[in-house]
Amino acid sequence: MDTPMILMVLLGGIALFIPLVEIIFKGDMRGKFSSHLTIGALSLAILLVIYQPLTSPLELTESSSGLFRNDLMGLFFSVTVLIVSLFVAVASLDYMKGEPNEPIYYSLLLFSTLGMSLLAFSVDILMIAVAWELMSIPTYILTGFRKHDPKSNEAALKFFILGALSSGTILYGISLIYGLTGSTNLFQILEATSALTPGMYPVALLSMLLFIAGFGMKMAIVPFHMWIPDAYEGAPTTISALLSAGTKKAAFVVAIRVFVIALPVLVLDWQITFAFLALITMTLGNVAALTQKTITRLLAYSSIAQAGYMLIGITVSLQTELGLIGVLFHVFTHAVMQTGAFIAAAVVTKKIGQTHLNTYNGLGVRMPITALSLTVFLLALAGIPPLNGFWSKLVLFSAAIDGGFTWLAIAGVLNSAFSLGYYAWIIKRMYIDEGEVMSRVAEPLAFSSVLLSATAIIILTGIYPAPIYEFARLAVSTLGVI
Amino acid sequence: MALPILSLMIFVPLIAAPLAYILGRYSERAVKIFVLLVSIVVFGIAIYSYASILFSGAGAEMSFEEGPWQWIPTFQGIDYHLGLDGLSGPLVLISAFLTILVVLGSWDLIKIRQPLYYALILFFEGSVIGVFTSLNLILFYVFWEIVLIPMFFFIGIWGGPRRKYAAMKFLLFTYTGSLIMLLGFLALYIFASPTFDMQALALVNIPFWLQTLASIATFVGFGVKLPVVPFHTWLPDAHVQAPAPISVFLAGVLLKMGGYGFIRVNLSLFPDASQTYSWIFMSIGLITMFYGAIVALKQTDMKRMIALTSINHMGFVLLGAYTFNLYGVSGAIFQMFNHAAAIGLLFMLTGYIHEQMGTREIPLLKGLMKRMPTTAVLLMLGSLAGMGLPMFANFLSEYMVIVGAISYNWGFAVAVLVPVITAAYFLWMIQRTIMTPLKNGTSVNDISSISALHLSIYLVPLILLLIFPWIVLNLTNVFAENLLQLVG
Repeated sequence: MDTPMILMVLLGGIALFIPLVEIIFKGDMRGKFSSHLTIGALSLAILLVIYQPLTSPLELTESSSGLFRNDLMGLFFSVTVLIVSLFVAVASLDYMKGEPNEPIYYSLLLFSTLGMSLLAFSVDILMIAVAWELMSIPTYILTGFRKHDPKSNEAALKFFILGALSSGTILYGISLIYGLTGSTNLFQILEATSALTPGMYPVALLSMLLFIAGFGMKMAIVPFHMWIPDAYEGAPTTISALLSAGTKKAAFVVAIRVFVIALPVLVLDWQITFAFLALITMTLGNVAALTQKTITRLLAYSSIAQAGYMLIGITVSLQTELGLIGVLFHVFTHAVMQTGAFIAAAVVTKKIGQTHLNTYNGLGVRMPITALSLTVFLLALAGIPPLNGFWSKLVLFSAAIDGGFTWLAIAGVLNSAFSLGYYAWIIKRMYIDEGEVMSRVAEPLAFSSVLLSATAIIILTGIYPAPIYEFARLAVSTLGVI
Repeated sequence: MALPILSLMIFVPLIAAPLAYILGRYSERAVKIFVLLVSIVVFGIAIYSYASILFSGAGAEMSFEEGPWQWIPTFQGIDYHLGLDGLSGPLVLISAFLTILVVLGSWDLIKIRQPLYYALILFFEGSVIGVFTSLNLILFYVFWEIVLIPMFFFIGIWGGPRRKYAAMKFLLFTYTGSLIMLLGFLALYIFASPTFDMQALALVNIPFWLQTLASIATFVGFGVKLPVVPFHTWLPDAHVQAPAPISVFLAGVLLKMGGYGFIRVNLSLFPDASQTYSWIFMSIGLITMFYGAIVALKQTDMKRMIALTSINHMGFVLLGAYTFNLYGVSGAIFQMFNHAAAIGLLFMLTGYIHEQMGTREIPLLKGLMKRMPTTAVLLMLGSLAGMGLPMFANFLSEYMVIVGAISYNWGFAVAVLVPVITAAYFLWMIQRTIMTPLKNGTSVNDISSISALHLSIYLVPLILLLIFPWIVLNLTNVFAENLLQLVG
């Protein structure tokens, strides 16, 4: 079974069909029909993707075109982004209710999800570029979806300009690599680069730096992070969840494929680059998060900091298997908790109408389910056991020590300790502080079901992390097998 | 298969906690009774397990062992592995014992958000017992961190006026400390042997440099909890702001986690580094004792004074543990047990006094003997226990630690001065509060006889253990002998 093709037909077909709903139906039915169709399509996609490794484990099929590789790494990431999109779609049931152009919203969501899933399977840099655009362009529109809100417009414009720049950077990198190696397939690039003449070395180095800058923009690495807080703040909050938990993860899988599979020749160069980027990314993210006044900006900086932890894993990916396992594991755990946190923020924004942190005072009494789930998400983000965030950080830090980057592990640990400062601060506001208003606020079922299922995933995979760990380990061990 | 006694003690409270919360939404009285029953059941299991290892003389090896069962099969070395021996036995027993007393003590004192409060008590109990019985460093760490969460809410929600500050300070201090400790565990895993199992690691020949580094890392983690100077600053704030029953948990159970960690991890796994640098640790213990005692002298807030007494008494644990002789190690464990009971009584009394008199300032509490006679008598008895007078078992344990320290080096005889200073500030406090004549004071209610009865329960183990010290020492001595034999 060729998963990328199936996903293309399923998600792409429905995404193309949904705009027609605008013509077929009238009034409320438009939003209702398209949202339920989207949720159905995403659930079906998740089942299909999970079904495959359960029935025929480790069947590595290369698609006929050679553009995709149907491996466990791709499955792992596509499951992750599909879960994120499903959460986002269910939360949008209530969040986007009554907004104009609802069907378009869902259609774009599906297109972007398809782009992310295809990125997870791509082993050809041209396909990567195409899927990258398929993922990015819908998110620019989604970010500016509220066309009458100046903040949303500003965010979309910023995001679009920087996004276009990063696409251009990636394409430039691709052209250099193609010029050097004469191929766009990652495995062929690997072969060609191992016979690189010393004279061509600076060119390879330049293309590596272009890749880091291009991917780094979506991966939320400092210093390519400038757009993130503004975009997350201006976009509809559910879309912030998609950006932070979905597109960012897709960028990570591309980085893993390009650097680990195709460019191990340059390991000494990208390793030290990633190590320093990891250090500044997590430190700057955490320090900046501490001073934020609105929840969306705080979560944006926290998301930057978490990208720094994942970079630790990529840094040591060639020394120890634990490195990439840690990245994959953290990608999964972070996707769930970050989506959850943004969706919790979306409930509060929708129901109370503000994103300022003061809104969260006394939330434990006002919105008990939201507050409880947000507490779990924040503790998981901080890495408190027995939640799943603890295990993924544990693997990442062990990998850093194992790979000879003990200083990076120490920096990561100190950063984690530091980050609890602002995570616990929100928990303190919700349960310990008294709000100005203490009345109960209704919590819509759609939101609560997403929040509670994310909480359940976090707690269950925290108590019994073995299946996810095993999935990640198998994905990593078959990564380079041809 | 035998009944998994230890898992029961951990998971009965952990599973009962959400049930208690749900029950509490319907009736606040029901939740109290439910939680009390659960804690009595756990105490019953604790007594059974304690008695069976006591009478079989099995303090040296692990009894009721469960596991090791692999937790993440492909991440080698992370197992579910529990056991009870002469070190963890007394601590599990005192934790279960104090939980009952905390529930009783909260009965009238805690008035808001009761369902959450009682659910968190059970949550706390289960995870603390998990800390004391875990034999795998990761499992240990997991429980160690879970403990923080209920304590954060206890201080933050039910605390005094500066509770928010105290709760955040507590959380950040202890979390930072434990993360550094985790780094030490990871270093052991990677450089010594790919396992987190404590028993397996004890057999590995860990290189000296690694032992030294790991002991520094764990020193930070355990030292924050114990606490040792200079990591102690969270403790007076946390204690002063926490409600009285929670101070009992803090001083009686949470601080013991630090002492337990030093003996279980540092002494057993890093024996060479611990022995080589034992004088450093002992000196830090001595400084902690003196610091706690001297700073307590000038306190006017009674609760802060008792909190500093805790620092002072926990210094004994560090001093005793690192003597590497029978008296010291066994005395350190015994001291943890006794301190828990004595300090619990004193904290509860300050809670009652604060509620009745509206203040805890020692200069303002005049004529306590006239105004609250029962409280005054109990305060006197508690202070005598705190001083380490030969009426109570605290005397024995402090004596053992000091003897152990002196036999290590004559210089440590200065430790004898600490009980003297302790006696001085306790007596001064008694003189200012109980002995002063009453001038135009308004009449206040003394504590009820039920409360008095409940407070007297704290004294039972202290008197019992003075007369029959073998109840604890038979276990701790066997444990200490075995430990000393293993580390050579």
